[in-house]
Amino acid sequence: MSPELSVVLAAVSVPFAAALAIPMLHRVLGERTGYAGAVVALACFALLGSQYGADGAVELSWIPSLEIALRFYVDGWALLFAMLASGIGVLVFTYSPSYMHGEDGLPRYYAALLAFMGSIIGVALAADLIAIFLFWELTSLCSFVLIGFHTDDRSSQYAARMAMFVTVGGGLFMLVGLLILASVAGDVLGTAAVVDLGGSATTFDLAAILENPDAVREALREEGLFLPVLGLIAIGAATKSAQVPMHFWLPNAMAAPTPVSAFLHSATMVKVGVYLLGRLRPLLVSHEWTLLFATLGLATMTVCAILAVASTDIKELLAYSTASHLGLMVAGFGFATFVGAEAGAFHLLNHALFKASLFLVAGIVAHEAGTHRISDLGGLRHDLPVTAAVAGVATLSMAGIPPFNGFYSKELLFEAAVESVHELGTLGWLYVAVAVFGSIFTVLYSLRFLALFVGDRPTGLGDVHRPPVTLLAPPALLAGLALVVGIYPDVAVRAIVQSAVDATAVESHAMHVGLPTSYSPALGMSAIAIGVGGLSYPFYGRIHDGIRSIPAAIPPVSANWWYDAVVGGLTRTSAWLAPRVHNGLLRTYATWTLAGTCALALAGFAATRALTLGELGIDASPAIALVLLVAVVAAIAVVLSPSHIAGILTLSILGFMIAIFYILASAPDLALTQLVVETLVLLIFLFVIEEIPESDEISLGRVTRDALLSLAVGATAFVTVVVTTDARPDGLTETARHYVENAVPEGGGTNIVNVILVDFRGFDTMGELVVVAIAAISVLTLLVMRGRGEAE
Amino acid sequence: MAAFVLALVVGALFALGTFLLLRRDLIRVVWGLAIISQAANVYLLTAGGIVRGTFESVPVLAGHGEGAPETADPLVQALVLTAIVIGFGMTAFALVLSYRVYEEHGTLDVSELGRGRDRGDRE
Repeated sequence: MSPELSVVLAAVSVPFAAALAIPMLHRVLGERTGYAGAVVALACFALLGSQYGADGAVELSWIPSLEIALRFYVDGWALLFAMLASGIGVLVFTYSPSYMHGEDGLPRYYAALLAFMGSIIGVALAADLIAIFLFWELTSLCSFVLIGFHTDDRSSQYAARMAMFVTVGGGLFMLVGLLILASVAGDVLGTAAVVDLGGSATTFDLAAILENPDAVREALREEGLFLPVLGLIAIGAATKSAQVPMHFWLPNAMAAPTPVSAFLHSATMVKVGVYLLGRLRPLLVSHEWTLLFATLGLATMTVCAILAVASTDIKELLAYSTASHLGLMVAGFGFATFVGAEAGAFHLLNHALFKASLFLVAGIVAHEAGTHRISDLGGLRHDLPVTAAVAGVATLSMAGIPPFNGFYSKELLFEAAVESVHELGTLGWLYVAVAVFGSIFTVLYSLRFLALFVGDRPTGLGDVHRPPVTLLAPPALLAGLALVVGIYPDVAVRAIVQSAVDATAVESHAMHVGLPTSYSPALGMSAIAIGVGGLSYPFYGRIHDGIRSIPAAIPPVSANWWYDAVVGGLTRTSAWLAPRVHNGLLRTYATWTLAGTCALALAGFAATRALTLGELGIDASPAIALVLLVAVVAAIAVVLSPSHIAGILTLSILGFMIAIFYILASAPDLALTQLVVETLVLLIFLFVIEEIPESDEISLGRVTRDALLSLAVGATAFVTVVVTTDARPDGLTETARHYVENAVPEGGGTNIVNVILVDFRGFDTMGELVVVAIAAISVLTLLVMRGRGEAE
Repeated sequence: MAAFVLALVVGALFALGTFLLLRRDLIRVVWGLAIISQAANVYLLTAGGIVRGTFESVPVLAGHGEGAPETADPLVQALVLTAIVIGFGMTAFALVLSYRVYEEHGTLDVSELGRGRDRGDRE
């Protein structure tokens, strides 16, 4: 079954339309706007659900001349991600009104949340490289607005800027990678989906690229661009998905309200990087791919699990845990085997279910107990029994304890690591060891989170209220789903995971998961992780303190320190540089601008080797040469003129000489205009100059420096004219010829220049007239309004 | 074929205009702007190719419905015509702005005006 364009378009655009309508809705509904958002999310979910089982691409032409179209591609992987986003969206919108009760700025909050949901559905379904990039950056933008929701809080501003800086910056790297990919793929895929863009072919059609992954990969290798593309896309994905060493923004992003953390920073936005890796996996999978992403993912999984153990705040713990699980998915996709894809895709689903649930639980705890410091909390099962049950299911799933759903996908990762030993040897064993080591810490922090609900209540903990049902139902539903997936994993696999895995894997197999019935290495690894984790839990306090003491002793091991150093350094450099470039003196501005422009232009000519000259022609007749010589002499006289009046008169000589030049160069219209304009300028100058006294100045040192800069500018202009006229095609350009041939039949006039101005480009001329009118009004205002405006 | 003579002229006008642009006298700065825009117009026309003025080369068709003669490039001429008019608007505005600056501050020395801004900031 092929997808319906109208349904897909509606699923992407409805959230954006709703985001625009939010301010009005908020006037009517007040705090209940969240429920309207839930309805929108539900509608998207239903629209996407109607495409269940579809596979294929649809497109809506956008910029046809560049072959950029709004292409959408629907398959299991896209649907899994998009339906997760909209489904969790429903729950988050249901949860928000109670949680955000009494907060200011709710329209902004809901509008950003809806726009975010639209962008994430867009990323999931887009099959055009440019569209993917746009939606990708839109999610970063929404995340910025939501993290900085408390606009008057400095730490919230800091976190929002950091998230923006890291994720958008990474997105720009990815853009370069995608552009290289587009240009190489355009050469390979021939003329079908290709446009001629300045001599080289490009295609942004991801669906077409993914149909010929081998050919594109070979072409990338031949041109030596495989590693650059891989690296650039990896930077984009790693920054977005908080991989080491770019993981530090995610814990800071917890400054956002908790529903936002549950939605953006655990279930959806941070998974965009993982999603893209899954999408491009069939295209780029290779030895280097495995080395890069298996290493990156396992390093992230372990480092962030360790940092989670060192956390003091429940949201910080969950944030590091999220980064760690993202590492697990990246590592899964990193392994080239089918099991690797199974691990990545299945864990994407499992993690979204249990982690969104845990964040919503954390929100309940913070909301009802009034604190989210781990050390202040404990024994909450007496006060929040239902919440405790929900947290229990989700936490055990996070720890990877059978038979909860996290166990299956973690087993798949272990299996993939074990299989990699055949291919990679020692390195494969290292992967196995690191995966187990990281999992021990996962078990540790999961137990710590569970301990918030069991044990004794700390004495400092005040009254804890029961949460309303709208706070409780969303996490309960998610945990229920996690439980169902845990008990009947095959149902989930058949429903959607199998098709998602097929889309991300190179070959296709039937996928089976279930509780193990016999011993396997992966099972042994799970047993070690759970066993060692459980046994070392009594020493949690010492492990926690030990890890915390390291960055305190050596600051440079923490990525945040590097961020602060780099951004702080840049800020200080800018603060130092700005007053030197922008010192309020016109000449400084002019110097920097002109010198910069000249340097760029000359560097451009040098880089493109445009400076090799053909023949030097004398294409000016003696008459033209003479007239222009007089013009230059007049300009020299302007420079040397001792008084204003002499300068104005010589400037006029220059203008009239240019007019004569226009006559000689067969441009009578220009000559007429120039004559009129010169006359007017002369008059205006004379009027103004009468009122202004002479000012005498100019010291000698400055003259030398200015002369040098002037010479540089003149030389650049000279070179530019020589280079461009040298490259000029013979005869008229196509556009000019078009005007010449159509002047009479379409414009009805024989003066082609006039026909162009008043007919073909009539609107441009109207704009020009507006400019002149604005100048005239400004002149009048400046001259006449002085007395009136400022006397009051 | 590279237009050598015209390149020399455009380069010279740009250099002289830039020199004026860096003066302290605001009126001379406006002259600099005017010269640079003249030079840019000459450059634009050159880029389209200079054709010696004869009856045939002026981009005016001899009569209705006849074939198009070999004309000079009408496109650059249309562009330059627009540029001349806009340049006029700009020069007039800059000049009157300078006049107003003189009225407000009693000087046309750009350096003094810049320092005055700093003083204003500190106060």
